Amino acid sequence: MHLRLEEISKAWGGHTVLDRVSFSAGASDFVCLLGPSGCGKTTLLRIVAGLTEPDAGRVELAGKDITHVPARERGMGIVFQSYSLFPDLTAAANVGYPMRLRGIPASTIATRSTELLAKVGLGGFGGRFPDELSGGQQQRVALARALAAEPALLLLDEPLSALDPAIRAQLRGEIRSLQRSLGIPTIMVTHDQDEALALADTIVCMKAGRIEQIGSPRDLYERPSSRFVADFIGHANLLPTAFVREVMPGFLERRPPGADATWELCLRPEDIVLEADPRGDAVVSDVTYLGNLARAGLAWRGQRLVAELHGRNTLTPGEAVAVDAIRGAWVCT
Amino acid sequence: MNAVAAPHTPTRTSHLAWLLLAVPCAGLLVFFLYPLLSVAWRSVTDAGGAFTLANYARLLDDPGLPRAALHSVETGLVTTLATVAFGLGIAMALHRSRLPGKALIRATLLLPMLAPSLVLGLGLVLLLGRNGLVHRLTGLPTDIYGFPGLVIANTLYGLPQVVLIVSAALARTPARHYDAAASMGATPWRQFIDITLPRLRFALLAAAFLVFTETLTDFGSAVIVGGNYRVLAMEIYSEVVGQLDFAMGATLGMVLLLPALLSVWLGRLAKRRQDSGDGAPGRALMPAQHAGRDGFLAIVSLIALLPIVAVVATVAYVSFVKLWPYQQSLTLANYTGMSEGFGPVWTSLAMSFIAAVAGCVLVFALCAGLRKAPPALARPLQFIASLPAAVPGMVVGLGYVMAFNHGPLSGWLHGSLIIIAACSLYHYHAQAFLTMQTGMRQVPDALEDAVAAFGGGTREVLRDAVLPFTAPAAISTFFYLFMRSMVTLSGVIFLVTADVGLASVSVMRLDENGFLAQAAAYAMCVVVAGALALGAMRLLLHTLKERRHVA
Repeated sequence: MHLRLEEISKAWGGHTVLDRVSFSAGASDFVCLLGPSGCGKTTLLRIVAGLTEPDAGRVELAGKDITHVPARERGMGIVFQSYSLFPDLTAAANVGYPMRLRGIPASTIATRSTELLAKVGLGGFGGRFPDELSGGQQQRVALARALAAEPALLLLDEPLSALDPAIRAQLRGEIRSLQRSLGIPTIMVTHDQDEALALADTIVCMKAGRIEQIGSPRDLYERPSSRFVADFIGHANLLPTAFVREVMPGFLERRPPGADATWELCLRPEDIVLEADPRGDAVVSDVTYLGNLARAGLAWRGQRLVAELHGRNTLTPGEAVAVDAIRGAWVCT
Repeated sequence: MNAVAAPHTPTRTSHLAWLLLAVPCAGLLVFFLYPLLSVAWRSVTDAGGAFTLANYARLLDDPGLPRAALHSVETGLVTTLATVAFGLGIAMALHRSRLPGKALIRATLLLPMLAPSLVLGLGLVLLLGRNGLVHRLTGLPTDIYGFPGLVIANTLYGLPQVVLIVSAALARTPARHYDAAASMGATPWRQFIDITLPRLRFALLAAAFLVFTETLTDFGSAVIVGGNYRVLAMEIYSEVVGQLDFAMGATLGMVLLLPALLSVWLGRLAKRRQDSGDGAPGRALMPAQHAGRDGFLAIVSLIALLPIVAVVATVAYVSFVKLWPYQQSLTLANYTGMSEGFGPVWTSLAMSFIAAVAGCVLVFALCAGLRKAPPALARPLQFIASLPAAVPGMVVGLGYVMAFNHGPLSGWLHGSLIIIAACSLYHYHAQAFLTMQTGMRQVPDALEDAVAAFGGGTREVLRDAVLPFTAPAAISTFFYLFMRSMVTLSGVIFLVTADVGLASVSVMRLDENGFLAQAAAYAMCVVVAGALALGAMRLLLHTLKERRHVA
């Protein structure tokens, strides 16, 4: 099942939320729409779901134009952040709901609901009401319900955001393996970069209604195309061209053409190598001890850097160090 | 993977969504705006239908009218002052004292909701009138008619509403503010002045405007205890019923409408500015031990609440007296031998039931329709739906007479139960609308979207997502409309005919003719019906909460 979005635009009361957004997703892809709040990612998901109509553009599913097909005829499964279960229905009845709307016989519904609940790790919880389930369990029920009608596409709208960190990580892993085993194309909206990196085959990074970059998690982290992406995903030390020319001229060779001001060098904290050296031109300003690693803040010729040090080290604030970088990526400003 | 087509076609869905708005809007248009405009139109036209301001000029010619206006305003101001002061005291007793018996205070405050100002007025007359119980027992020359009677009746009537508004504001003040103040050395009195009062400002203002509007437009107690002290509502009644001068009635109605509109508008402003409180209320507030405070609040509460009990108890007692005030022996004859039988009570019940059912359905449809309506349409509709709060019942009733007694719709509406039910419904439309809207806000958008995404249309969204969350609000709306319709007098007084009598109107007529014991019996029927309805509502809400897993 192939999804294609073409030049989708949407404005609410004069304010542009989506500006000619296009991307496509393959048969069993896990796509994450990633961006800060207000970037239009949720609106985009709602347009795919058919809950919001775009002002312009085209939505295509398996080669068929579904732009103006209402949500209820699209056959998609959707999971929201929270509060989307029917409070007066049991977990099993919640899961059975989409099948009931489609007129599937009650006996089939009962069997399927039990299967689906078992699949999300809630076998035996079918008789519970939503208020008798934890937040994580409620989201599992919502997930089972979204899968109940054999959707063409699974849509997840920040499904983990309302959960505790520990449960979030656990459920994240389960969503991924469930999606892999069912081979169901999935689009998830999130503002959590860790979630996107861990789950997605493809990340669509958005900013202010436009797509900044599309690529695999590795692409976006290691080869961010813009300063925004570099900053949004992971920590980025961004160095102006003039500074790089002065201290690390070796990187200039691979710089794309353009004025100095249009490019910056992005160094990830783990790309930076430090060596204790009394003659070094950088000074350690602070060290945060995090157990398996330490994060060091540096003042280097008027530029502030953050470096990550793995293993045991003995750097202390005020110490002079020599700085080198093993790799870096040029990003547009 | 194959997506199965949903069972309904989109045209049918949009049809239903459209109907949701269209039907209640038509209702508001025909049964509220049209009568209201009829009154306004009548006040500025002469007998031939030409535009004139002569009616307003006539107001000033009659020396009785400016005096009545003055009386209305002075009664309103004094009542407002008294009600807000006592209401604040009772709310403080409920939320900031260690007094025992708070449940008893709450129960007493239910009485004025069951016994309308009409019954409170009747009770006052029976208790403190020239031939009242107090005079009978002590021989003191009591005379409650006029200004004092009006102020007391309206104060008792307004108290529960003030307590409700102030209590809500008190409950929103978190305990940690008091903890912080106490840790800095503030005395309880300073805490009251520096923390409690500032946070109550807007609640007190909103309550004051509410009581002022209600007192200004009250007819029930005016007709019973007003006596020779004439207020505007009485003047309208006399113009229309006594002299059949509809133009003058309409003009006076407009005069009454303006301050009511202004007052409701100011009250809204005050309410909007109300402190919404902190997100997390934190630990519950436990007032410190303070005998002086508790003693004072106990006295204030007793002064305000004892009369309520006394007045209702007097009505109950007199309803069993053979021939008040001359033959004090007890009998059931007032109930078994009612002049019109139980007819008016049944009529009242039937009318209230119609108003409540229709109101519940219409207001639910309106609120459901508004959820998806564009703001350009939703905002004016919300305004119109809340406007009845500012329109005195007498003006609504007068509008009905003008719109439906002679107009194109008079043939099948005049003198029918339907028209009286419609009048009650639209008179109390604003509060019903507000209750339902608050209920609608409980419906999570995500649930509604989920139904749509899984193949449900408007019908399924309403049934599976909206209804479970709004059921409590719908029940409250139903019983609110039912109880109000049972006791209403001002709106329906112009609409009752010889064939269609109502219990509340019977109370008034019997009182006018001196059959006080029988009036009391009808009044008690109204109070008991209200109490049963209230009990039924509580029971229903409780079972609903137990059975369905909706907060």
